[in-house]
Amino acid sequence: MSGWDWLVLGASLAFIVAYGVWKGRASRDLDGYLLAGRQMRWHVVALSIMATQASAITFLSTPGQAFTDGMRFVQFYLGLPIAMVILAATAVPIYHRLKVYTAYEYLEGRFDLKTRALAALLFLIQRGLATGLTIFAPALVLSVLLGWNLYWTNLLIGGLVIIYTAWGGAKAVSWTQFQQMLIITGGMAAAGVVVVVLLPDYVSIGGALRVAGELGRLNAIDFSFDLTNRYNFWSGILGGCFLALAYFGTDQSQVGRYLTGRSVTHSRLGLLANGLIKVPMQFLILLMGVFVFAFYQFHPPPLSFNPVAAQQARSGPAGESYRALEREHAMSFASQRAAADRYVAAREAGDAAAVAAARSDLHRAEAAAADVRARSARIIESSGGTAGDANYVFLNFVIHHLPVGLVGLVLAAIFAASMSSTAAELNALTATTMVDIYRRLLRRAPDAAAEVRLSRWITVAWGALAVFFAEFASRLGTLVEAVNILGSLFYGTILGIFLVAFYVKRVRGAAVFYAALIAEAAVIACWLFTPISFLWYNVVGCLLVMGLALLFQRTGTDPLPVAP
Amino acid sequence: MSEPAAGRGPEPPEEPPPLLGTWGRLYALVLLGLAGWIVLFYFFGRVFR
Repeated sequence: MSGWDWLVLGASLAFIVAYGVWKGRASRDLDGYLLAGRQMRWHVVALSIMATQASAITFLSTPGQAFTDGMRFVQFYLGLPIAMVILAATAVPIYHRLKVYTAYEYLEGRFDLKTRALAALLFLIQRGLATGLTIFAPALVLSVLLGWNLYWTNLLIGGLVIIYTAWGGAKAVSWTQFQQMLIITGGMAAAGVVVVVLLPDYVSIGGALRVAGELGRLNAIDFSFDLTNRYNFWSGILGGCFLALAYFGTDQSQVGRYLTGRSVTHSRLGLLANGLIKVPMQFLILLMGVFVFAFYQFHPPPLSFNPVAAQQARSGPAGESYRALEREHAMSFASQRAAADRYVAAREAGDAAAVAAARSDLHRAEAAAADVRARSARIIESSGGTAGDANYVFLNFVIHHLPVGLVGLVLAAIFAASMSSTAAELNALTATTMVDIYRRLLRRAPDAAAEVRLSRWITVAWGALAVFFAEFASRLGTLVEAVNILGSLFYGTILGIFLVAFYVKRVRGAAVFYAALIAEAAVIACWLFTPISFLWYNVVGCLLVMGLALLFQRTGTDPLPVAP
Repeated sequence: MSEPAAGRGPEPPEEPPPLLGTWGRLYALVLLGLAGWIVLFYFFGRVFR
């Protein structure tokens, strides 16, 4: 990294922290500290919602997913706009009317204290672990590609977030997220433009897309129905909708974002703006990964995008074999590039026979390259490394091919993305701990200033725990999937509780509580013992809670009256 | 805030959205947008395959 890159990165981080501390300086009570005084306008709410969901993992791992697996990951987001509409129409007015701090508060009025405590506890476990991953994921990639110390990188990201989140609370989180989204958009747009500009002169944008499409990277929509297929239209629309309903409707890190809205209208507009923008935004990020894939059809890619794993393989017992594979990979690239050149030329000329011949050469070259990579992956694994390198593709490209200054901007975008998600998560963990556990279960009611002071310390404690977990997280496969799988283990159950609360008025507390316990056990059993793809866990957990709660209520013994 | 939350506060009157007149129309816009993106992505993949 050059001096200019360091300057851009350092100035961006210093600005975010200073801006967050300044913006959050006036929080004097819990309403101000946890919900920014419920005064945010819709565009701040919208960007805050987007910045919370789009962590650094989104920007690091998603282009790599398109590179290795094509664009089918976009289907994961297809259920999101539907969920935004459902939540805007139903949950938002309820939360606003009740003036709750957390989503779980509502459950006590509707059911009972133990259901509120169970939902809050499931959230604290799931989000407490996931916050560590939010910090760890970019730290790992940055440390591998830039040679930074992983532990210090975790500490740097976590430490910076803790400073302004603990000091300024929700106001600092929302306003810094606004700035962070600007940095992220600028960084990603710059990277997207550069990757297109770096294509060879004779390869147009259409030509690059045709090569990528021919090699199966433009598989955005797949209508086939298969429960074991992780991403298709049906899992995206149904499973993705359930996941988004659970995440945006019951996860305090998102509920807390739109509860900062100054009215139902501003909260609703924030959610609906996210529903309009999120799908095309993910498509563009994946498309950038497709262009990186096309770029590497014409420029030599490394055998592994993870330099540490590659070095480990070179110096391991099978080092000579790995070096031989690197030579084979270089030769394989030469034929791959020649085939890609012929394919582009044939398509430009409209010569059907030449296109057919080049197509077959292109697929043969791709298969040969895949074979070399598969053999190299076995050597990397045998030497103790992690074979999957999808998380490293995008940043490896950025570091080696982006001009001076822009590398710093993209790194600042990745830091900003990590910090924005982490800050919202810490704020939500604090709100739930403070409101649902401390105030409710310990029955303490200190004065406003003492509550804010205590909330700051709770934020510091959750931040420290997240950094601690980040230091120990490793070998998680594709990081974006690890986070989503973790979420899916709990979200279905929590969503089921909330859907029963909202829509099945005759079900009472005991029925839903025991239904939730059984459903959670069933979801964990699905994860451990079946090949069912993780998006369906949300459906399984949710439907089980709803079905069992109805069954228990019908046959049950719950003596509690229905809440008004 | 340590008490159960249900029943707090009166039902506020529903404000119309700043565009399209009703919330129903705005929801329809979001869903139509989704349908449009799905069609676009599908044909995008087919055109370049």
